[in-house]
Amino acid sequence: MDKVDAEARKRAAAILREKLIPLIKDLKAGEPLKLVIPKRTLSNTMLDPEKGILILKDEKLERHLLDAGEARRFMQTILMASIIYQALVENEYPTIRDLYYRGKHTLQYRDLEGKVREENTWDEQQESDAVLRDIEVMTNLLREEMLILSKEKGKMVGDMRIRSGPDVIDLSKLGHGAYAIESTPDFIEFLDYNAEFVLVVEKDAVFQQLHRIGFWRQYKCLLITGAGQPDRATRRLVRRLNEELGLPVYVLTDSDPYGWNIYSVFKVGSITLSYESERLATPKARFLGVSMTDIFGDKKKKPYLTEEERKNFIIKAKDEDIKRAQDLQKYSWFQTPKWKKEIDLFLEKRAKLEIEALVGKGLKFLAYKYLPEKIQTGDWIE
Amino acid sequence: MSEEKKYKEMGIARFFARYPELTGYSSPQKALYQTIRELVENSLDAIDGHEEGRQVALPLIKVVIEEVAIVHDEEGKKVMCRVTAEDNGVGVPPTVIANAFAKVLYSSKYVTKQTRGMYGIGVKAAVMYSQATGGSGVDVISTTSSLEDVYWRRLKIDLEKNEPIVLGTGSWRKQGSWRGTRVSMTMECDWPRARQKIIEYFQKTSIIAPYVQMLFLTPEKELYVFPKRAEKIPDPPREAKPHPHGVDVETFKLMLRETKARTFKQFLMKEFQSVGEKSARAIIREAKKRIKDKDISGDISPADLLQASDGSLAAIVDIMKTLRFQPPKSKYLSPLGEDLVKASLISTFNPEWADAIRRSPRSYQGHPFIVELGMAYGGHIEPMNEPLLLRYANKVPLLSAEKEDVSYKVMMGVDWKQYKVTFPAPLVILVHVVSTKIPYKSMGKESISEVPEIEQEIRYGLLELGRRLREYLSEKERREEAMNRALAISKYLPEIARGLKILEKEPRSWTPLEPGEERDLLEDLIKLVSRHVHLRDQQGEEVVRKILRVK
Repeated sequence: MDKVDAEARKRAAAILREKLIPLIKDLKAGEPLKLVIPKRTLSNTMLDPEKGILILKDEKLERHLLDAGEARRFMQTILMASIIYQALVENEYPTIRDLYYRGKHTLQYRDLEGKVREENTWDEQQESDAVLRDIEVMTNLLREEMLILSKEKGKMVGDMRIRSGPDVIDLSKLGHGAYAIESTPDFIEFLDYNAEFVLVVEKDAVFQQLHRIGFWRQYKCLLITGAGQPDRATRRLVRRLNEELGLPVYVLTDSDPYGWNIYSVFKVGSITLSYESERLATPKARFLGVSMTDIFGDKKKKPYLTEEERKNFIIKAKDEDIKRAQDLQKYSWFQTPKWKKEIDLFLEKRAKLEIEALVGKGLKFLAYKYLPEKIQTGDWIE
Repeated sequence: MSEEKKYKEMGIARFFARYPELTGYSSPQKALYQTIRELVENSLDAIDGHEEGRQVALPLIKVVIEEVAIVHDEEGKKVMCRVTAEDNGVGVPPTVIANAFAKVLYSSKYVTKQTRGMYGIGVKAAVMYSQATGGSGVDVISTTSSLEDVYWRRLKIDLEKNEPIVLGTGSWRKQGSWRGTRVSMTMECDWPRARQKIIEYFQKTSIIAPYVQMLFLTPEKELYVFPKRAEKIPDPPREAKPHPHGVDVETFKLMLRETKARTFKQFLMKEFQSVGEKSARAIIREAKKRIKDKDISGDISPADLLQASDGSLAAIVDIMKTLRFQPPKSKYLSPLGEDLVKASLISTFNPEWADAIRRSPRSYQGHPFIVELGMAYGGHIEPMNEPLLLRYANKVPLLSAEKEDVSYKVMMGVDWKQYKVTFPAPLVILVHVVSTKIPYKSMGKESISEVPEIEQEIRYGLLELGRRLREYLSEKERREEAMNRALAISKYLPEIARGLKILEKEPRSWTPLEPGEERDLLEDLIKLVSRHVHLRDQQGEEVVRKILRVK
């Protein structure tokens, strides 16, 4: 068995026990049982000004077995911890779906009238996923560190060799395909590479187009997509490329609040999962485009689109886009002058644009003009 | 003209025969109901009204109504019924039977007593009605415990002379141990229309006399059984002297006429309760001042005083009403008692909660009274939009004119939400007023007036019971909350025990969990939860274990 793996297992199992064994001691002493879990709420989330990422503050919640309203979640937490623990010691690699199924069974009990009733330990995977997040914040262990796999969604190509498990993979020799970023990117070893920056593309289709046209080879970059909202593995890998290899990271998304949010997730982390930002966020990630000034231009800058093209490509923003933009305005990391200008312009024009519109102007325009020019002139927002 | 004067001019029996509506016999429907009442109440008196009547293991009243003939005459179709009532009460001595059943006695007695009888002339009105509608006389069979024979009389009333006419007599040796009275008479009746009220009468009577078993056989041969549900029989009411506050001019004159006292002062002290030397002197002193047409002193004879004008006598009565005396004595009254009221409500309604309360004796206008109340909630009681009100006066049920009754008024004035009751609710309220004089609202004697003293006692009683009910409901809520809490937590214990047991096992010596291996942790968890569900420990543990007992 993989040595890296085995070490991770040992460590995770020890931490789980360390956190939960005190409950047994309390129980033997007749003490009421409680779990102490850092809160995963917006009010307990803050932007660390030094690190530039979202972190959890100190607020903790106590989950008491003897509180009727909390007993179910208490049970679920113990159940989830025990399943993960058992998987660790039995050398398994459960997915979050597996955890859901392993833990899901029917409890029987008698109600106060004496009738036998049934209740599931959990019903939807949403429930077990939420419990898993509790375990992560409680133990300060990410699921990847507990050898829990998720669906692989992210892809990467580029002139680079990595070791994954026992194999060496050459990311430049995958033909039209790409390397599917594994669930546990911490166990990847970077061997050698020939690249100067990382380009993260929101959309899988644009990723494929840039791959086929040979963008990464021509401009010496590692090309990555999270295919929409990025999963944790993609984010972790981007972070490692930035932190360990010192490669600048550029993010290319649609020009709308949804795209900005994806950038935000790469940069500072997500609010529901802020506990993982410490390891997943890339505070130095740069928003390359498409920006509002790319579309409309400003005093110093000529727009990339002609009047005619704007008319054809621009989509009118919906009410929910406006609302989302207004929400984003409230976050401190969107309050820099550049972002303020970007969002204000959006709210003024009430217009959004998909990356595909630039492709519509010609893939070569995107690959050989727009992207290199933006990077070379430093036309990004941080 | 006062009723008393009317009696005298016409002959009392003739008078009542002429005005049947006065006694409630104005139609075959009402007459049948009224007859049943008189017979049953006589029987109840024979059972609980005398020390001797109370010495029976199973006090029993049997009532049978049979439709015996259909008569066609010029007025149309008439249905004749034979009504028979039998009890194992104290019995009537043969020498008294005739007068007891066939002479309308105008009682000269002025003592006061709590009585069931609603009209004073009782069963004799039924006999007169039977006579008027073609009955062949009343048959009475009776014996007492000391007699060796059973006696039979067939009687009619001579309306002119107000004397019994004895149509037949007989006697025979007692067979077995039965003693009591059996009365039977034939009369025009309307059973279909009277049916509902008669059955309601039995049901409600059974509630207030739970120590008696009643059997009722209808003309359709349906047998209603109202079983005995309580052992204790309340002490019988006793006769008491009038209280000076409760006397009217007519009674006062009657008392003067009948007293054996030699002087006015003696008369006051001897014939009234709560009047001693001091109060007697106070009355005489006041009378001296007020009465001009007669020289009043404590020494004049009652006969002499009778010579005074009606106005002067009225003044004396007025003086007695305004002076202060010890309140009338209530020890002569016979309420049912809290235990019996409660027991009866429980056995009748099978509620989840019942309680009863007896208020302290009080008096109004010189008449002592006691209010006792019962309340039952939940269980087999159907939820209703307002409380089911059971009204009683001197141990008889009041069936009609509910909304005019003081109890109804008080009940509707209560803010039940304050007592955790929201309607529709399964709530029964029983109000029983006993007094030497019940202040009925009207001739029909089916509702009690809003006498402030009585109203107040009913209100206080209801509010006290309301508080107890609220306490019970709060306690129940607390308990249910605790039980629900126990349930919400306990059902997860086995799962928690398994999870913790798995985590307890070290990786080095790992083996999968065996069934039952977590037993020790589960036991600890059960004990932990039991201690914290706010039930008593032992009880808490039972609750938790019961929740987990699924195999």
